[in-house]
Amino acid sequence: MKAYVAKKVLSLPLIIFGVSIIVFIAIRALPGDPARLMAGPEAPQEAVDSMRVRLGLDQPLPLQYVKFAAEALHGNLGLSLQSQRPVMTEISERLPYTLSLAALAYLLAIAIGVPAGMTGAIYRQRIPDQIVMVLTIAGASIANFWLALLAMNYFAVELGWLPLLGADSWKNYIMPTVTLAILPMAMIARMTRSSMLDVLSQDYIRTAKAKGLSSASINWKHALRNALIPIVTIVALNFGSLIGGAVVTESVFNWPGIGRLLVDSVRYRDYPVIQGVTLVAVTGVVLMNLVGEILIGLLNPKIRFD
Amino acid sequence: MESKNKHFKVLTLAGCLLASMASASVFASQLVIMQNEPPRSMDPGNQTATFTGTVLDPMYEGLTRLGDDGKIIPALALSWTSDDSGLNWTFTLRPNVKFHDGTPFNADAVVENFQRHLNTQRGLAGSGKIRTFIQDVKKKDDLTVTFQLKKINPAFLTVLASGPGLMVSPKADKAGSINNKADGTGPYKLVQYKSGEYVLEQKNPDYWGKSSGPDEIKWTWSSEPSVMNMALQSGQVDIINPVPPQFAGMLKNNANVNLKQSPGAAVFWVDLNTQSKALSDVRVRQALNFATDQQALVKAIMFGYAQPANSALAPVDPNYDKSLHDYPYDLQKAKDLLKAAGYADGFPMSIAVQAPDARTAQVLQGMWSKIGVKLNVRQMESGVWTKAAFADGKEKAAQGTDAVLASWSSGLYGSDLQLRPLYHTSSFAPGGANLGFFSDKQTDDLIDTAASTLDDAKRKDLYFQAQKQISGLAPQVLLFYQDDLYAARKNISGVVMQPGGQIVVRDAVKQ
Repeated sequence: MKAYVAKKVLSLPLIIFGVSIIVFIAIRALPGDPARLMAGPEAPQEAVDSMRVRLGLDQPLPLQYVKFAAEALHGNLGLSLQSQRPVMTEISERLPYTLSLAALAYLLAIAIGVPAGMTGAIYRQRIPDQIVMVLTIAGASIANFWLALLAMNYFAVELGWLPLLGADSWKNYIMPTVTLAILPMAMIARMTRSSMLDVLSQDYIRTAKAKGLSSASINWKHALRNALIPIVTIVALNFGSLIGGAVVTESVFNWPGIGRLLVDSVRYRDYPVIQGVTLVAVTGVVLMNLVGEILIGLLNPKIRFD
Repeated sequence: MESKNKHFKVLTLAGCLLASMASASVFASQLVIMQNEPPRSMDPGNQTATFTGTVLDPMYEGLTRLGDDGKIIPALALSWTSDDSGLNWTFTLRPNVKFHDGTPFNADAVVENFQRHLNTQRGLAGSGKIRTFIQDVKKKDDLTVTFQLKKINPAFLTVLASGPGLMVSPKADKAGSINNKADGTGPYKLVQYKSGEYVLEQKNPDYWGKSSGPDEIKWTWSSEPSVMNMALQSGQVDIINPVPPQFAGMLKNNANVNLKQSPGAAVFWVDLNTQSKALSDVRVRQALNFATDQQALVKAIMFGYAQPANSALAPVDPNYDKSLHDYPYDLQKAKDLLKAAGYADGFPMSIAVQAPDARTAQVLQGMWSKIGVKLNVRQMESGVWTKAAFADGKEKAAQGTDAVLASWSSGLYGSDLQLRPLYHTSSFAPGGANLGFFSDKQTDDLIDTAASTLDDAKRKDLYFQAQKQISGLAPQVLLFYQDDLYAARKNISGVVMQPGGQIVVRDAVKQ
């Protein structure tokens, strides 16, 4: 186990190095000229050219990458083309907003998704199960920006209960959190249900029943613990899609996180910011996957990693 | 029972606190405005965006200012004179003015402000407007500066009133902080610029003039039109600018909201690539104009909040020719012209559009299919579109771009900045915005002569001729002039709208 974790941790820099090259090239392969975008459509060509030199975009690509990588190793992701501020500053100001939103959304998704999935499994093929199934299908297929707009119109405009935009108070968290939680909630519920169904048909459950244990004890202690492994996997592996969801949710709710930063910087072709945000997000996803794998090992000592 | 009472007391206390906080925020009046894009920079000289100009206006001033009636009035300059050639100007500056950081405003500050634009090394986004016609700026004494122009520019005093003409603190510019921390002489100063959230401005207690505006102005933004609409309807923001046309009708009927509409400076048109085979024939280009039902387009796309376009200049331009009417909707005429040009069965062509304009292109697709033109709509994200639109002739040919849907607004800068970049031979893309490579000697001459003519009436006549000439050769299909729309809650007054969509809120009143 220890060797496995060490191996995984050591491979992290390699993965991030690979990702940084892909991100660097992919961004520059996008059509669109940041110098022209920044200088404005009515700027004369000479202004665009001097802008390009100032931004360092006239340099050959490998040189641009080496410069970028050398700086990045020192924790410097460059200056935003748009705001002229360090990308690190931009990201560190925004990251807490995204992380708190993502964490709350995950907690909510787990808090509702797991019991819902268990309900579905325990009452298999009966009304509670059917309700859970219908809701999870709806939750997994609904577009979250559409849901966000509906919620905003109802709770902020019609009823006036919740603030519409920004991140000034705890009330601001409610709508973005719920919107962001819907998809992982549905996935967790479905995963919990199928995983619980597998476990509930096992012999030891029958044994537990025969011993006369209460059904609560059977469901929570014996069944859920064994059903958890696939659930943890799904939670850890879906961190990436949660970040993807945050991009949309943050844009709609004017949430000052890195998702909105990414959208704004793509619009202006702010290469250093796009690079920085992508790198940070990818690192987060890789770390989460690692945490997931370690957790699985802890939950089930039977799983071998070597 | 007792513990219940205790809770009750805590609750009342909290209630009182909340109430007092609420009333405090009422006394410190704050105006909240939402626009459709974030500000590009806190430096007015390093951006060219209308909605950034709006955010910066309360914090900055130029030598001149545009009055509420659209006339130029003194601001940081008290008076000015020019010699007979119109090339040499002398400005007397306002004494005892300080920038927000305490740096004195004087002739040195003015010279440094223009030098940073004349310096080609700096690459500031707004420098083009200055560099094209200003030769040099010199200090005569502490409160007098002289300008030497390369060529006459009727919009000179207007250029001084906005964008790169606005005065920034030379100290802040040298320190490199001006991009993030606004520093001007205006009635408001920057409190905070949180790049993902808002710009907060507060009244400048040391302002030299009078200001009747609110204590604080807060700017936010959202690129979602429906979010802007909801923010205003819910009262979370006081003003939205611009109003998405699809929500204008709804807001007009809302009793808590005033919808303000004024004729806009933005011209929407389809730029035709005159180097494409079919479109190199003027008859084909005219046919497309005859086949375009502008009224229907305005209704379908702009919900009536636009005017059909008849000229390359917008109605807010002093030299706009209202009488021009070359292309009434006439399908028969369009078909006849196509037949004469050898395209009786029509031809295929492609158009590059940005996502928000895709519907316009689809409506055109339907209209032009009636004369056999198969319009292939290529919808693009804005950065991709910019690249495609500003491609040179070779690249356009390689990519098969026959047309580009675009809009242009020279705002208050006058006819030359509307016609020269779009129709002059020297403005071929990528260097200029002549996206279809239209080249006509007579048009060039008219634009050049008009630009160097001092006499207003003569200049107007030349611009009338230029509009007629361009219209006849149809390097474009004119679509419409978009109305400028903003909406405010009923308790807001004193907002001024300038042609070009810029709103001025520095003297707004919130009741």
